[in-house]
Amino acid sequence: MPLRPLPEFIKPKAKADRALGKRTKNKVTVKKGAAFWHSTGRHTSRRLLRTVPRQITNVLQADLLWAMGFSGSGIKVAVFDTGLSENHPHFRNLKDRTNWTNEKTLNDGLGHGTFVAGVIASSKECQGFAPDADLHIFRVFTNNQVSYTSWFLDAFNYAILKKINVLNLSIGGPDFMDHPFVDKVWELTANKVIMVSAIGNDGPLYGTLNNPADQMDVIGVGGIDFEDKIARFSSRGMTTWELPGGYGRVKPDIVTYGSGVRGSGLKSGCRTLSGTSVASPVVAGAVTLLASAVIHRIPMVNPASMKQALMASARRLPGVNMFEQGHGKLDLLKAYQVLNSYKPQASLSPSYIDLTDCPYMWPYCTQPIYYGGMPTIVNVTILNGMGVTGRIVDKPIWQPYTPQNGDYIEVAFSYSNVLWPWSGYLAVSITAAKKAAQWDGIAQGQVTLTVSSPPEEGEKEERTSTVKLPVRVKVVPTPPRSKRVLWDQYHNLRYPPGYFPRDNLRMKNDPLDWNGDHPHTNFKDTYQHLRNAGYYVEILGAPLTCFDANQYGTLLIVDSEEEFFPEEISKLKRDIDNGLSVIVIADWYNVSVMKKVKFYDENTRQWWMPDTGGANVPALNDLMYPWNMAFSDQVYEGDFTLGDHDMYYASGSSIAKFPEDGIMITQTLKDQGNEVLKQESQTVDTVPILGLYQMTGEEAGRVALYGDSNCLDNSHLQKDCFWLLDALLQYTSHNHMPPVFEQQGSPFSIMNVELPERMEGNHLARYSKVLESSLAGQTRPLPACPHLSWAKGEPLNKSAPTNLYKHQKLLSIDLMEPPVPNVVRRQPGIQHIVSDGVGWDIQPGVPSHPHNSIQSMPVFALAGLTLVVVFFAVHIHKSRSKPKRRKPRLKRPTFINIVKPVV
Amino acid sequence: MISRRIFRRRWFLALVLGASLLYFLVSVFKQSEQSVVKDTGDYKPPEFDFRRKISWKPRFQARNLANKTDTNCRNSVQGKEIIADERGFVCDREDILVGGCCDVTSLTTRRFTCASCQDSGCCQVYEHCVSCCLQPEKQPLLRSLLDHVPDAFRTLFASVTDHFELCLAKCRTSSQSVQHENSYRDPKAKYCYGADPPQLRPAR
Repeated sequence: MPLRPLPEFIKPKAKADRALGKRTKNKVTVKKGAAFWHSTGRHTSRRLLRTVPRQITNVLQADLLWAMGFSGSGIKVAVFDTGLSENHPHFRNLKDRTNWTNEKTLNDGLGHGTFVAGVIASSKECQGFAPDADLHIFRVFTNNQVSYTSWFLDAFNYAILKKINVLNLSIGGPDFMDHPFVDKVWELTANKVIMVSAIGNDGPLYGTLNNPADQMDVIGVGGIDFEDKIARFSSRGMTTWELPGGYGRVKPDIVTYGSGVRGSGLKSGCRTLSGTSVASPVVAGAVTLLASAVIHRIPMVNPASMKQALMASARRLPGVNMFEQGHGKLDLLKAYQVLNSYKPQASLSPSYIDLTDCPYMWPYCTQPIYYGGMPTIVNVTILNGMGVTGRIVDKPIWQPYTPQNGDYIEVAFSYSNVLWPWSGYLAVSITAAKKAAQWDGIAQGQVTLTVSSPPEEGEKEERTSTVKLPVRVKVVPTPPRSKRVLWDQYHNLRYPPGYFPRDNLRMKNDPLDWNGDHPHTNFKDTYQHLRNAGYYVEILGAPLTCFDANQYGTLLIVDSEEEFFPEEISKLKRDIDNGLSVIVIADWYNVSVMKKVKFYDENTRQWWMPDTGGANVPALNDLMYPWNMAFSDQVYEGDFTLGDHDMYYASGSSIAKFPEDGIMITQTLKDQGNEVLKQESQTVDTVPILGLYQMTGEEAGRVALYGDSNCLDNSHLQKDCFWLLDALLQYTSHNHMPPVFEQQGSPFSIMNVELPERMEGNHLARYSKVLESSLAGQTRPLPACPHLSWAKGEPLNKSAPTNLYKHQKLLSIDLMEPPVPNVVRRQPGIQHIVSDGVGWDIQPGVPSHPHNSIQSMPVFALAGLTLVVVFFAVHIHKSRSKPKRRKPRLKRPTFINIVKPVV
Repeated sequence: MISRRIFRRRWFLALVLGASLLYFLVSVFKQSEQSVVKDTGDYKPPEFDFRRKISWKPRFQARNLANKTDTNCRNSVQGKEIIADERGFVCDREDILVGGCCDVTSLTTRRFTCASCQDSGCCQVYEHCVSCCLQPEKQPLLRSLLDHVPDAFRTLFASVTDHFELCLAKCRTSSQSVQHENSYRDPKAKYCYGADPPQLRPAR
């Protein structure tokens, strides 16, 4: 009996509709629309000349592996992209092409998929790494760069069925909470598919890592240029999955050339492109080549062992921190040596913890630890090459080195119960022991852990591997209270999953606040500035009830989106009465504006209504109610000067309520709310934007308010105001009124200003740790404060070398190090083409190949436009400089009559 | 001087403008012809007689199930804690024998189990879905499924060769499993061997 056809599938029309239009909140987008790849034509000509495109396989010495007879054969490599045409001349082993989009074609109309496939497997002209690999093309993007999670799910299932070995994803998006997608990527690697993905093109801002490259089981690739500098576009910063309680993982995993790389053109020939979308297939191609080189030992090749080999062999770039370069630059030949003698084992990333190692271990190396401080957390990724699943045997052991003051620090662990797929985490929390309260020095020790996996085919015993993690920490005496600043991370909601709009309403093409709002992501420069000014910045990832206010001079609440527990509100009031100072930096919140900035997301096919404004002002007003302070629901924007500093107020709130004897600074600003709602420009005088107040009470602290956080936030930063934060801290932490406030500030009484109400029907409760999801406004029970159980040290009478970095090496099987053949470097028949290509590529704005019509079209358009402009320019010039009698009309009659007689 | 004057002539500029416009239009036209018209020509969605292609005969007979030594099984590979083998057994990872089969003598091993599955044909655990789907009495259901293969599954099912591969593929989460693209229709029962998608639950 035939079953009822499924409604999901009998609506091809509905499916087609989805793809129309542009998506705003892209889950899996081809890297942010136009910025997806950076065509070299866009760069300045100087940059172009410097990054002369090079044959990528030569630079990485793939020809040596080719000379040994390895060229990818026997390895199935999949390219998930915009497709590939069947008779492209560059590909000799195209095995399969499938289309998963709603467009009825298998061909690439964009050039992206062709380029990526070329870097991996081209056999002519601009050569790829593995020309003999079985190439499987999955078309998952339309020519309009549209794609959906559901297309990916079906395509991924096919890749699993086809037993793909290596899969390249030059795609990514911010949404790591897209569970169906993230689960599917785990499923792929669990099925031994080695996933290689681009880390994203959202650099140089921190906190911009893209999914799936940010997953532990995926090889996330960042981009460098041919001068070994991290490419500006390459996404960086820690992962934000773990916020606010934990700390992010190190990503990207490795970096490789992604700027000015040559690859296959759409129809034929070669072109030059830049982007992490380019760096990813470089690694995918290298991985394919490596897998074919160890094909005699293919059972031991898996997502973890390949990643371990790449990491262990990568060459570290000097002067670049680990959140930008990961383990360093891909070294193909060394990776081959490591892989060829690889023995299944566990390893760690990073492989050591040296909190004094600058700049590699930024930001850890920028601030020493001390007794009483919030524990420093290092999030170590465990890679387990022994099996898809594994576990930590017993517990990790902390072994302080007795001769090296190991007992001056304490260490606590949290870790994955099961390491699956191929990976897990080990979070190491470090703090100074009580006896180090006045101590200054370096403490060392090591963490030892044993990982086990079930036996593999033909084995009886379970597999185990023991790894050591050296630890080295700088300890200083606890700094005075006035030098310690506490950053409230708990109330900063990280994106995703809700829509928390940008703090600057002018940034329309990037509507989401997704960088984590952490001092080590998009508030990086603020952090660095505070450190340079001598402040110690600690991060509170728990409710305000969980810190000892006597330790800190100032609590910083910047751009918070979360609600506050009633217990937090009363505790903070007590803290202030007892001497804690608070700086609150808010942002805009206006219900009408929020309704105006809703958008339709084509990807999830839902309306996205903001759950807060730039900040959650109603929640802040609840917090500040006992202080008799509040922010307004107005949205202001504009330039002004404060002291001798130029300032820009980018979509901020104003102060609506403040004690009369407080000091206020007012400015003339534009009413941006009005502008957004009614398209009317209107300036408002005496907008109170900054307030300073000494709370009443004998030992009470001080409060400073400012209405806009954009000048501290690296994303879309226009004019910074770090000086202002300095000045505010001068006031709050040191009770010293900076001259700028003395001159410009004055007591100011505020007329009746409306306070913002929470928007009806907002979904903040879905994402909130504070609100009960069922009833709006009802809070959950206050969670218990995090409690770390410090590991009992097992002292070792041992000394570690001062440089921990050199100590990472993978165990190898008893095998002679495979010789990398000392072949004279032949360049098989591509040399002359390369030099030809150079001639093409260094001409600014000229496409790499004349046949590449898609690329050249804008150039023709530009040329045509230029000619038209020149035409008119000459025309105007002519009419101005040499007025001819043909055009008397242009002149005023009076002139004709009086000044110049008409001929 | 002569050349400069020529540049200023109106007819010359008009000529340049006309020529460039012509070139522009021609190249745009040529491009759209190339990438659109030609592309659609060579794409054919796969056509298969799905029912005939798939082998339903189990590779194993009942009597040699307990035979520990000379049996090789394909299994579900990916599991965190448990694994389903092609004979329909589900066992702990520790109980997988050399050759990939489940140890049928282990107390925790179950055959054709639908432990976490609902009547709708959707299960909470992937391995249970595979095991349940391998029940011989599920064959009519699967055969009827193959008479109406949705477009999204045509390519996938065209490459499936037997009952086990069909169950492995069918039980995976797919385009049928999601709502709003980024959440599951039913996070508690997302692996389905049956024809119906998981029951729709309101997002969060």
